[in-house]
Amino acid sequence: MDMSFKEKSLWVQLLGLLGVYAWYFATVLPAAAPSVMPQHVVLFAVAVGYLVAVQGAGHIVIAVFDPRDDTDERDRLIALKGAYAGSWVLAAGVFTALYAAIGTEGNFLFTHLLLASWVLSCLVEIAAQLYLYRHGT
Amino acid sequence: MGKGAPRISNDIRALRFARGEMTQQALADRIGVTRQTVNAIEGNKYSPSLEVAFRIARALELPLEKVFQYEED
Repeated sequence: MDMSFKEKSLWVQLLGLLGVYAWYFATVLPAAAPSVMPQHVVLFAVAVGYLVAVQGAGHIVIAVFDPRDDTDERDRLIALKGAYAGSWVLAAGVFTALYAAIGTEGNFLFTHLLLASWVLSCLVEIAAQLYLYRHGT
Repeated sequence: MGKGAPRISNDIRALRFARGEMTQQALADRIGVTRQTVNAIEGNKYSPSLEVAFRIARALELPLEKVFQYEED
């Protein structure tokens, strides 16, 4: 498949986010508590470390095989449309988290709804961009 | 672009070949976009800005309306 550096980069981001946060939520949710515990914070820091490592390694591999990392007006338009799609998901998630904060004890649900919203909004933003690269703006 | 069939079409692919079989990459380099963007324009998946449209016409040494066609509804 004919993909630009930017499109390959989006795939690395998508797979990295999916893999790392699927692992994080699968590990943390069974050990849920009313409030965030120190072990949750450690797991979150590990997840961020994994994400940085996976994305760094992925981008190095892409750059080795495709050193042209130019961007142009089409890339910028697609990025804007993707950000617009993701922003709706983030806004909905923030209000859902606020509702949960009012209705539940502790901060575990609130913080994890916020985190899940951010992850989901990033996934929607990236997926929208990948769709636009394939099917046109 | 948007809903329905694209209203702006172009003959860039044929015009490139008519100009010494200019490659997509050569045209992209001359007009300052990526090769994938030239490919998307040729496939009517992306309507370029007016500035890029003029640069394409200039690179092909043709007037704009010979390169792009606007189809009325």
